Amino acid sequence: MEHQEYKELLAISALDALDGTDALHLEAHLKTCVECRGEISELRDAAGLLAHAGPIQAPSEDLRARILADVRAEKQSVRPSERLSNVMPIAKPPKSGFTTQWLRIAAILLFVGVGFVLLSMFLVAQREIGKLTREVEIQKTELNREREARMEGQKVLAVIMSRDARTIQLAGTQTAQTARAIFVFDQKSGRAVLMTDGLPMTSTEKAYEVWFIPKGHAPMPGKVFTVDSSGHAMITDQMPSEAMKDAVIAITVEPKSGSAAPTGAIYLASPAS
Amino acid sequence: MQAEPSKISDNDLLKAIARGDEGALAGCYDRYRLILFSLILRILHDRQEAEDVLQEVFLQVWRRARDFDESRGRAFTWLVTIARSRALDRLRASGSRARLATEAEQEPHDSMGDAAADAVRSEEGEIVRRALAELPAEQRRTLFMAYFEGLTQTEIAARLGDPLGTVKTRMRSGLMKLRELLRDRSVDSL
Repeated sequence: MEHQEYKELLAISALDALDGTDALHLEAHLKTCVECRGEISELRDAAGLLAHAGPIQAPSEDLRARILADVRAEKQSVRPSERLSNVMPIAKPPKSGFTTQWLRIAAILLFVGVGFVLLSMFLVAQREIGKLTREVEIQKTELNREREARMEGQKVLAVIMSRDARTIQLAGTQTAQTARAIFVFDQKSGRAVLMTDGLPMTSTEKAYEVWFIPKGHAPMPGKVFTVDSSGHAMITDQMPSEAMKDAVIAITVEPKSGSAAPTGAIYLASPAS
Repeated sequence: MQAEPSKISDNDLLKAIARGDEGALAGCYDRYRLILFSLILRILHDRQEAEDVLQEVFLQVWRRARDFDESRGRAFTWLVTIARSRALDRLRASGSRARLATEAEQEPHDSMGDAAADAVRSEEGEIVRRALAELPAEQRRTLFMAYFEGLTQTEIAARLGDPLGTVKTRMRSGLMKLRELLRDRSVDSL
């Protein structure tokens, strides 16, 4: 619709006689057209003068008093601050109880909805944090294992590469004929390494235990260890000084907590010197 | 400090009412009770209902005076708009518009008020009446149907059995001419 077409609607609108979509279109046009706003203001003033058209009639004499009584009653029921015209209200009071009620319900629903979303987010976040914490613990354990393995490897390497290293072969006994092991130790420091192969896996209640048996001495306990499914194990140990010169090294099966003296069958043993 | 209603302008009267000045409201009532009551009565044709509506109108003025914006129109237009809207709402609620239709279309001087009312008739009112009398009868009738019955252009066309375009032209021409006549007779300062 063109500006001129809107202008032709102004007088009809000033009489509130527009219908259909014309009223809506004109309302939208008035928001942007200063000229039409000015003209419709004049036309409304002209339409307002039609109030003079009828015969003059006077209301009852007591109507004035009734109106003023109503106003006074309302004034007393309204707090003074609500009538201060020189103080602009920050927000107009709600227009109807119905609207207010719906606004309240909407606000409560919004509050509950937001609460539910926040709670869900909190629970999801807690689950994620728990999962991440567990993963971090696993990673830490893995790192510790790797660090220990690396340190163990360094110890093994240090022993094997030592100038004072001595190697002793251990052979399987009748109980474990295919088993074998190498025992390397530093003759100065006594640091030792045991590497096994072909040892059968023990039950969960049992483990292998290293014994140092110096000549003329009772067996001295070393480390307790288990093997993997291939019968492999690699452990470091500290050789007792009494066993460093001349001793037999043997491996027995013992309770997993270890024994003070050998109680089980011998699986590996070094030859007696 | 209380305003002096008889000496102040319509705009200042409404500002004083907005400040909670009961005297200003009483002054506004004294100044406009006749024109507003006459307008409402012409729409409703029932004195009791017209008085009820007039009471509602002044309570609305008391409550909403601070909403009046003088940059958007005259105080008089604001007051008669409230009165006309309230009266038309009451008319629609009562469902009696059809019964009153022919009465609303009557010429203003067909139903003159009593001698007391004539005595207080305003000079401005007389100017408007004379201006209306100069309009072609069909234009005047169309304006009255829209203003006093609250009919839309389509409803007026249906009532009169005239083409919509004709009704639009009459309404537009009638109001524009009225505006020009009033301008010529210096009523714009009302």
